[in-house]
Amino acid sequence: MIYKAIVIGGSAGSFQVVTKILNALPKNLSIPVLLSMHRLKHVRSGFLEALSLKSNLPIIEPDDKEQIKPGRAYLAPANYHMYIEMGNRIALSTEEPVHHSRPSIDLSFITAAQTYRDKLIGIILSGANSDGAYGLQKVKEYNGLTIVQDPSECQVRTMTESAMRLTKIDHIFTTEQLIRFLQKLN
Amino acid sequence: MTLTMNKSIMQELGIVDTRNIINTITEKYNYDFSDYALISFKRRLEKILESYNLKYTDVLINKLVGNDRFFEIFLDALAVPSTEMFRDPSLWRIMRDEIIPAIHQDSASFKIWLPNSVSGDELFSLAILLHEMGLLNKAQILVSCMSSVSIETIRSGVFSNSKFEISSDNYIRANGEFELSKYVTLKDGIFTRDTSLIQNVTFIKQNSFLEPVPPSVKLILFRNKMIYFNQTLQGRIYKTLYNALTSNGFLVIGTKESLNSHYGNNDFIKISKTESIFKPRT
Repeated sequence: MIYKAIVIGGSAGSFQVVTKILNALPKNLSIPVLLSMHRLKHVRSGFLEALSLKSNLPIIEPDDKEQIKPGRAYLAPANYHMYIEMGNRIALSTEEPVHHSRPSIDLSFITAAQTYRDKLIGIILSGANSDGAYGLQKVKEYNGLTIVQDPSECQVRTMTESAMRLTKIDHIFTTEQLIRFLQKLN
Repeated sequence: MTLTMNKSIMQELGIVDTRNIINTITEKYNYDFSDYALISFKRRLEKILESYNLKYTDVLINKLVGNDRFFEIFLDALAVPSTEMFRDPSLWRIMRDEIIPAIHQDSASFKIWLPNSVSGDELFSLAILLHEMGLLNKAQILVSCMSSVSIETIRSGVFSNSKFEISSDNYIRANGEFELSKYVTLKDGIFTRDTSLIQNVTFIKQNSFLEPVPPSVKLILFRNKMIYFNQTLQGRIYKTLYNALTSNGFLVIGTKESLNSHYGNNDFIKISKTESIFKPRT
């Protein structure tokens, strides 16, 4: 495995795609998955439980400074930004929303890019605003791999199209193509 | 410094520059940020550099050492304000039903401490809760701030417009008796909170280690503050909080802040399944 982490961003509308991804990833995946998804600020529970139903990987809404371990998915908790901090740990933040969002996809992507550099896969899914576009650009700047869900199958295209405008994306995948790609990773 | 110029949110600050700023502050003032969590601290600095349109950290450093008032403004901007009033309404319901009654029952007056305060959102939420419980006069509320600017801001009652709607919803979910607008006035587009709620509050100017630390506190509200510290500083601050609390007191931290055994901290016992409410182990 040449990669050290996968970071995925989308809004609540991309729930189905994320579920399919988590269902398709191998149980013994040797790297962590970081999920930064727009969600309701005041609803703390339910999202994790729903995502966990069909996931092959254990999903965690991490506490602050939690150690990042391979083979697990880390879901940004409601009303917190999720950063990748020194020493391969999660750091949480209640700083101002970015693009009206907390968690902000940009911030998770930027800090993941700074940590994992060219060993990072960044994936932007369907979403309703341009959060994530700048983050994915950072992934590219550090020579990480950039993937965007094919806008033609997105319910809302703003997020994916914003990312494509800002960055020359490595792969534009349908959900099925994305899953086949991720399954070949290990 | 490393400048990444594009249509970016902000420029990227290098670790060496960050360390230089921290060292400058430690040498000149009684504040030590060397054990703050690096990513969020860097982001705060980047935000300040951007808001003052400073391209080079040297310029910031000169302003910091040469201008005490600017340093207070800097300290205020560096701290992360609370996101809203009555964040996590489920916590405030437990405060109303269990925590406040517990700290009130055994003494006429009781001390509540809010260290590292910035925006006053937690303070006004608490004051409204106590007011509605008829206990505001019995509570001795101590608010510590690093910056005198934060103290001025909180005292003025000013309330960020962008927080009003979510705070109003939270207040209802927290079983508030009225509407939040009962305590907030809107004039010329500016929201201001009823400052009579905080007229008996004591404000304390603190350093980066929460000092001076008041003794015999019954309740410490310290939510989403530990997340800006690295684990070394977290350990130190948990000791400080433990020492400030009475044996029957309570510590409330953020829902995603943990006092897990991986910090080796056995000083506190979690007493709520859903909220991060702790009692000191005696």
